[in-house]
Formats: sequence, structure tokens, C-alpha cells
Amino acid sequence: MVKFLKANKAVVLLQGRFAGHKAVIVRQFDEGNRERPYGHCLVAGLAKYPKKVIRKDSAKKTAKKSRVKAFIKVVNYSHIMPTRYSLDVDLKDVVTADVLQSRDKKVTAAKETKARFEDRFKAGKNRWFFSKLRF
Amino acid sequence: MAAGKKTKKTHESINNRLQLVMKSGKFTLGYKTVLRTLRNSKGKLIIISNNCPPLRKSEIEYYAMLAKVGVHHYSGNNNDLGTACGKYFRVSCLSVIDPGDSDIIKTLPGDH
Repeated sequence: MVKFLKANKAVVLLQGRFAGHKAVIVRQFDEGNRERPYGHCLVAGLAKYPKKVIRKDSAKKTAKKSRVKAFIKVVNYSHIMPTRYSLDVDLKDVVTADVLQSRDKKVTAAKETKARFEDRFKAGKNRWFFSKLRF
Repeated sequence: MAAGKKTKKTHESINNRLQLVMKSGKFTLGYKTVLRTLRNSKGKLIIISNNCPPLRKSEIEYYAMLAKVGVHHYSGNNNDLGTACGKYFRVSCLSVIDPGDSDIIKTLPGDH
């Protein structure tokens, strides 16, 4: 009886272009709203995972391999699989509901999310989140 | 371990409790609504039949683990569970939202 679909929960998308990709819930709308009369949430996820970095790589190569590409999406609860993991990245100010209104806003928000994700990846935390789910 | 063996007596009592829930409480039947009740934390007990497909069973168990809700594996297949609910169709999984007069929530979760 514990609510588990909360902000900072790591989830896996099940449908759509990003099926199989990991994302983190930024904001949830349990009751839905007028355009979406179902429970849904705003997620930010990894469109492109960082590649595997080995010790042999030069600094330039490591930098190139550690790049990620982020996406921002509104997704129905029934199209995500919640996990027991969470990702404590503060994205509330960057990813808001009105970001998805226009393309430029979305692109700038995605770039900011990408920067924050990359910082987190380079700090070596949340390994599970940044590893590709094989299926 | 005696936990695996289900005696006839406890099985009947589960059926009785379920009957009481059907009469006096709130419940939903079916996989989609079970997940929905788990997501919005309304479900208090989940009952899964024994011939539920293993992937679906583990998915429901995982959701229940996240929501800290008890799962009971009913000793009987979906036909039996449907009959126990007093319905004329099969029920593979059900979620008890409000037990009503029944004590099914207090007596059941303990076994997983």
C-alpha cells in the first residue's frame, strides 16, 4: 500500500520509440488531466546510453564515449515498468510540463538533462541506470 | 517446511473469506485492474491463481513488492478462483481493495 510511482524513481519504458530504455520519473500526474484522463508521468530518460569505457582509452576517447543523449516524454503509467532503483538527479526545474509545448524548449531542456546525466555518469554513481538493458 | 503444504481446511477457509469479500467488500478481477490498484496503492491483497503465466506472476509480485502489498498464491487454477469468487468466468488474479467484513487481510499475508 505504498505509493511507489514517485519522482526520482527509475523506470523502464515498455512501449513506443524508447521501449526498453531507462528513464527517471520527474513529475507524476496520478489523477490525469483533461488532455490525458489517465495516470501519467513526465519522464526524462536516456535515448543513447554511454558506451563502455575501458582503461586503455585516452582522455579524448573517454570523453567521447561518455556522452549520452536524453529524452523527455510524457508517458502513461501502463507503459512503464517501475523498478526498485532510483536516481537522485534534480530535474524539476529543467523538465516541466510546458517544456513539451515547443520544439526549442524541448531541445534546451534535453540538453540540460543530458548535462546532468553525464555528470552523474562520470561520478560513477547509479551504474544500473546507465547500463543498457539487454533483451 | 510446512509452508508448502496446503491442508483442505485452510483452503476452504480462504474460499469462505473470499466469498465474504465478494459480498461485503470491494475488489477487482483481472490483470490490468490489479496493476492499476497496485499503482495507485488501493490494493490491499493480491491473489494469483496457480496457472497464471510465470512472467505475469513475477511482474505482479514485483509490483506488490514495491507497493509492500501481500500476494497470496491460490492453490487452484483460474477456473477454481473464478468459482471461488462466485463468477462464471476464469479469474487469474484479483485484488482486494476493501475487505468489508472479512478478515482475509489479517489472516492471509504471512505466506507469500
